Amino acid sequence: MKRISSATALIAGLLAATPAWAAEEWGLPEEEVARFEAKVVDVLCELTGDCPTDCGGGKRQLGLVTDAGALVLPVKNFTAFTGAAAELIDFCGKRVVADGLFTTNRGTKIFALQFVKEAPDGKWQRANRFLPKWAEANGFQAGGPESKQWFRNDPQVKAVIGRDGVLGLGTEADKDYLEKQ
Amino acid sequence: MLKIPAVFATAGLALSAATALPVSAATGERVKVTGEVIDSWCYITEIMFPEGSAHHQCAVWCAAGGIPVGILGDDGTVYMVLKMGDDATSVANPAVLEIQSHRVKVDGALYKRDGINYLVVDRVLTDEGIVKVNHEEWGVQPFGK
Repeated sequence: MKRISSATALIAGLLAATPAWAAEEWGLPEEEVARFEAKVVDVLCELTGDCPTDCGGGKRQLGLVTDAGALVLPVKNFTAFTGAAAELIDFCGKRVVADGLFTTNRGTKIFALQFVKEAPDGKWQRANRFLPKWAEANGFQAGGPESKQWFRNDPQVKAVIGRDGVLGLGTEADKDYLEKQ
Repeated sequence: MLKIPAVFATAGLALSAATALPVSAATGERVKVTGEVIDSWCYITEIMFPEGSAHHQCAVWCAAGGIPVGILGDDGTVYMVLKMGDDATSVANPAVLEIQSHRVKVDGALYKRDGINYLVVDRVLTDEGIVKVNHEEWGVQPFGK
């Protein structure tokens, strides 16, 4: 069985991250540390003109339009298995300073947001606001064990994995596989 | 530390000249795409094996966590899904979680901007379920269960 150890190391790093107000290097492909000012936009709105007033209320992917007019897609934040919309939604339509990592691979360039503040002089926030928002939405304590393992306690995840299994092939396939491990 | 990568700055200069009209006026290119529904972060960064049954659970976690869901086209092109049918949400979209890791054929509109292919899916034409059954080779990514 093949395994890739870097994933576990990176996820462990996210779970145990300590405060610092500058991007950490994660060893991603063609990684570039970057800090830049940009406007927070609803990507679907930016591309198609379908524009709710609240950028979709956190349910749409959000982008960063730089002063040069480029649309940057923040795909990741500073919490395991979570994206950047929860970090940026409070800045919908505003200018921010974004700090993090660009990575380019497999024909696509994306951004991992690690810190953000309202431009030019707002207070820096670590891009880990997903967890408290998730905890509040699901009736758990922020920082509690359920939140730290949010991905195993999320109701949507539990419904899909509970029905289709870890492998997505049905619970019997899971049972057959795990019995062999 | 970089202020902004050159590729974005260059593209941005071109765009600022070419998009005097709002980008929102664009209608996109009609396309049909066939491929696997993927977790874009794990696939692009290769931080773990990112496809099929081996990665299904992680792909569901990441979709629920709001990481953009993509479609890996049969030609290797990555498409970021911004909409699925009438549902304009793309963060933890329940319909997308249902087809995570599946091989699908979709019909929609393609928007290319600054090196990323964005897909507004109108319809899922076919859904073959998970066809890459690869957990025996790769285990369950990333924790083994």
